[in-house]
Amino acid sequence: MIVTDANSQQNRWKHLHKVLTNAGPYCDEDWIPGEETITALESSKILGAGGLGCEILKNLALSGFKDIHVIDMDTIDISNLNRQFLFRQADIGKPKAEVAAAFVERRVKGVKITPFVGKIQDKDEDYYMQFKIVICGLDSIEARRWINSTLIGMVDMENPESLKPLIDGGTEGFKGQARVILPTLSSCIECQLDMHAPRPAVPLCTIATIPRQPQHCIEWAHQIAWQEKRKDDTFDSDDMEHISWVYNTAMERAQQFHIHGVTFQMTQGVVKNIIPAIASTNAVIAASTTSEVLKIATSCNPYLENYMMYAGEEGVYTYTFEAEKKPDCPVCGNLARKMIVDRNSTLGDFIDSLGERAEAQLKKPSLRTEEKTLYQRFPPQLEEHTRPNLKLKLHELLEDGEEVAVSDPAYTIDFRYKVIFNK
Amino acid sequence: MLKIWSMKQQQQQAENAEGAAGKKKKKVTAAQLRVQRDLQELTLGNTMKMSFPNPDDILNFTLTIEPDEGMYKGGVFNFSFSVNQNFPHDPPKVKCTQKIYHPNIDLEGNVCLNILREDWKPVLNLNAVIVGMQFLFLEPNASDPLNKEAAEDLRTNREGFKRNVRSSMAGGSVRGIAFERVLR
Amino acid sequence: MAQSFHGGPTSKERKYDRQLRLWAASGQQALEDSRVLLVNSDGPLGANSTGVSGVVGVEALKNLVLPGIGGFTIVDPAIVTEADLGVNFFLEEQSLGKSRAEETCRLLRELNPDVHGYFNSQPITDLLHDPDFLPQHKLVIISGPTKRSSLDPLIQRAQELAIPVLYTHSVGFLATFSLQLPAEFPIVETHPDPESAQDLRLLHPWPELVAATSALGDLDAMDDHQHGHVPYILLLLYFLEQWKQAHGGNAPGNYKEKTEFREFVRSQARTSNPEGGEENFDEAVAAVLKTVSPPTIPSTIREIFELDQCQNLTGESVDFWLIAHAIHFFYMTHGVLPLPGSLPDMKAQSADYVSLQNLYKAKARRDVEEVTSTVRQLETQLDRRVPPIPDRDIDAFCKNAAHIKVVHGRQIPQISSNSDAVTLKAIRSQLGIPDSLVSVFIATQILDGVVDEIQDESNDRRFINDDTLWKSHTERILALLTRDDPTPLDSEVRDNINKAIQELRRAEGGELHNIASLAGGLVAQESLKVITKQYGPLDNTCVFDGARSRSEMYRL
Repeated sequence: MIVTDANSQQNRWKHLHKVLTNAGPYCDEDWIPGEETITALESSKILGAGGLGCEILKNLALSGFKDIHVIDMDTIDISNLNRQFLFRQADIGKPKAEVAAAFVERRVKGVKITPFVGKIQDKDEDYYMQFKIVICGLDSIEARRWINSTLIGMVDMENPESLKPLIDGGTEGFKGQARVILPTLSSCIECQLDMHAPRPAVPLCTIATIPRQPQHCIEWAHQIAWQEKRKDDTFDSDDMEHISWVYNTAMERAQQFHIHGVTFQMTQGVVKNIIPAIASTNAVIAASTTSEVLKIATSCNPYLENYMMYAGEEGVYTYTFEAEKKPDCPVCGNLARKMIVDRNSTLGDFIDSLGERAEAQLKKPSLRTEEKTLYQRFPPQLEEHTRPNLKLKLHELLEDGEEVAVSDPAYTIDFRYKVIFNK
Repeated sequence: MLKIWSMKQQQQQAENAEGAAGKKKKKVTAAQLRVQRDLQELTLGNTMKMSFPNPDDILNFTLTIEPDEGMYKGGVFNFSFSVNQNFPHDPPKVKCTQKIYHPNIDLEGNVCLNILREDWKPVLNLNAVIVGMQFLFLEPNASDPLNKEAAEDLRTNREGFKRNVRSSMAGGSVRGIAFERVLR
Repeated sequence: MAQSFHGGPTSKERKYDRQLRLWAASGQQALEDSRVLLVNSDGPLGANSTGVSGVVGVEALKNLVLPGIGGFTIVDPAIVTEADLGVNFFLEEQSLGKSRAEETCRLLRELNPDVHGYFNSQPITDLLHDPDFLPQHKLVIISGPTKRSSLDPLIQRAQELAIPVLYTHSVGFLATFSLQLPAEFPIVETHPDPESAQDLRLLHPWPELVAATSALGDLDAMDDHQHGHVPYILLLLYFLEQWKQAHGGNAPGNYKEKTEFREFVRSQARTSNPEGGEENFDEAVAAVLKTVSPPTIPSTIREIFELDQCQNLTGESVDFWLIAHAIHFFYMTHGVLPLPGSLPDMKAQSADYVSLQNLYKAKARRDVEEVTSTVRQLETQLDRRVPPIPDRDIDAFCKNAAHIKVVHGRQIPQISSNSDAVTLKAIRSQLGIPDSLVSVFIATQILDGVVDEIQDESNDRRFINDDTLWKSHTERILALLTRDDPTPLDSEVRDNINKAIQELRRAEGGELHNIASLAGGLVAQESLKVITKQYGPLDNTCVFDGARSRSEMYRL
């Protein structure tokens, strides 16, 4: 048995501690290297999520972070084994978050890793508030947008600790990107949404009547034939029998039209929207994101402002630039303003008062909360439904502190108010 | 304090922001906000109506089209709209809830309209979709059909196609397939 | 038990599915046939150090073991220390005091049962005495800094054997690596962007394509449905014929004429239909500027044809040059390269598209047959003692003929008294660019000098943070930089080099895991491209600056 005393700990982290206790030429002039920086590092609680999880956990643990949480809803699949290096054949079917956390805890002494098997959307603001930094390698735009707007919504002007830097990484084949988002301070995922090219789609009528490519035949089997022939089964892209049915049906259609090239591999690629993924690209992108986490947590070097694009097909190409913050961004362009109101005033009075606000005289607003449509001017069917709300008192419609979002045709941006009842 | 957290403090002093209080609540999502705005900016005219099974859920609704001219005049057509949280990055999902005879709508209710799929862009709004839907009933397009038989009828025998439309709308059969009665 | 069926994937195909979509079965086979040598340390870095911690190398191997490389050998005389455990994930508590080669080998092997792992704790210079040792490997990765007396014979020997070498440094927030390839390193499967790889021959149609255009008859006589479904390639050929008749038999040549031709095509679309236009005409209009051009041969291909290896074949010539020679012959005969034969998707009826596609495929097949017969004649003439070139290789070459690439490998660049003038010149010209990261490369060269002295003098009292050592090596390297161009380095350049040295020295030669892991990813990526002979490998040096989150590439 090995006894880890303070001396051995110091030896263990000596390379890392050198850069934390010596200033470099690119550091901020105000930065004071030393013990305080090491303490800041070791006490930073970090949250990691998504498909780059194995690399991210390893890198965070070997960057000296001691308290790491990980969220992942997926279970281990055989196709993960070519890059997610904490998983083995025998782990197939087990939850990724648990297997990865246990492995890294075993390997790197002194790190605590807390797994949560589930979706990022299962957790609320109270949960996210406990972390210093959030790092994500999520595979869907939807999940990225969700975590982005959640972290932006949490920023409280009075409490600097409510600002949770979001480090995002993503890969596709030999390409990837890493970006740093400081909620409300810098360009956010929503500001950069047009950088995600939408998945190219083929017209439905081509698929239905004039297929030309093997992919068209697969789409037909998947989207049209399945609906017709197997209405009662919910299609599951992980069910081999379902995929085989689509493959065989696509083959028949391809033969009928003399189209060549339908393969099982292509069938899976089309119906699961498979994106190629390799260990080396994951390593590059995960390490660049965790390097930014280390720099932000310790200030030992300047952090990325704010986007690094990477392409590895032709040598090594990166492009580092500052993506712009959009003034009319629907997420970070209109932060909730606080509004103090009388809980007994009616929604109608509230709407009238919006017309007198300094930031915008809202004359024809429609408004809602996350749960309720408060008042919607158009279409008429919805107006009729919500008109009775105008006479209701605010406390009958809202909770104290709830957010109300307002749109008005006179303004291209929307407004958010945090409605607080006066005492 | 580390740099970015102190930056936030400076920004906040500059803005002299008011203090906030109270426990955080769920935020209106970007998709909800966009749909709220899109609904407000719709132009429905006399031929279209909307209904909301749950008025608090504006992401799911039904659009009813009652064409007042063209071959489908007199029909009442219902479409379910389902908008996901990735809107407007993703287009709304639209399906016809009745079995109808139309070259661009198949028997399962799938609709072939370019802006619902290959030509969708986040700058498009719900009004653009609704205008496109209305157009399908004024000018059914035989060139790139979903219902191949209906398209063939339209292309080769326009009068026969019109008769088929009338009888299908009345709940009759065309080429052995029974259609739903959709007359007002 | 899952139901098995015809055409389903094997469990190996399922495991490697996400990568097979990039380099296909041929790339995977090349990977599985290869063994990689990692030389991960070569003696201590001063009195209080056991040597390079070698994380870049181990992380690179991780990224090669996972996709299923055939095997690897780790050469590393170091013993595992506490400091290793803080930076290397492929070591554990029980590894302390044991051979680092053995321990990292054991833990890397766990990643993939398909991979064979070997280790050796002897210094690399000893192993080189065995003439059979190095040739077992298809690629060598060396973790720097390494003393010249080990590095030079290793890269020399590898060059003689035409084995590619990657020489890496990862120190603190900085990383550099260089790739040494053989003097000619040919790549057939370069994976060009499908858009740019299109070759439709609109100005060079072959008889069957001309016949298909004539078979359209009169476009004006078509009904709307037919008119709206003529594939745009046939539309362009049809209207090109009309244009030529009106322009003395000439196709649109310059930009102005092409724009006029485009407007002419646009004006022929029918707009009175329900859609108010025609998609096939939209596609035709959009394609005019790009596709209505005479087939040209890229200058890179012309250069390949002119190389001695291509012109003067011998019995020893490798397959690549035989095929290149045959394709050059095809080009001399026809004035065009073999047709790739692929057709982009376009608005058309299924049957019309498929028959057009078949025209392109058939022509491509005939071109391959012609090239193949030349290749077979050459094989006979040269009396080669190797098996005949596989048909699929000739086929792949013909499909990619316009995009093949030959990298002219260079030795691992060094700044030393016997440095190549080209290397020094390239560095000097990079130094003229503001904020160039080449200063990081210079700093690692200074580090190499410092380590070389520490290791070869076997002077126990020398430390890696010895200021006088750094000062003397900095001066030596800066003097070398002005060897061929005596213009003094300006103060900004010196300042940039000093900053790079300062950032490098900050870590006292130690690796940070993030940067080592990132560099290991890049090194593995280059290894994969070299081993599979696909995509475009680095030519020849890359610098990553983790302090400022950016990278650069140079040919040094």
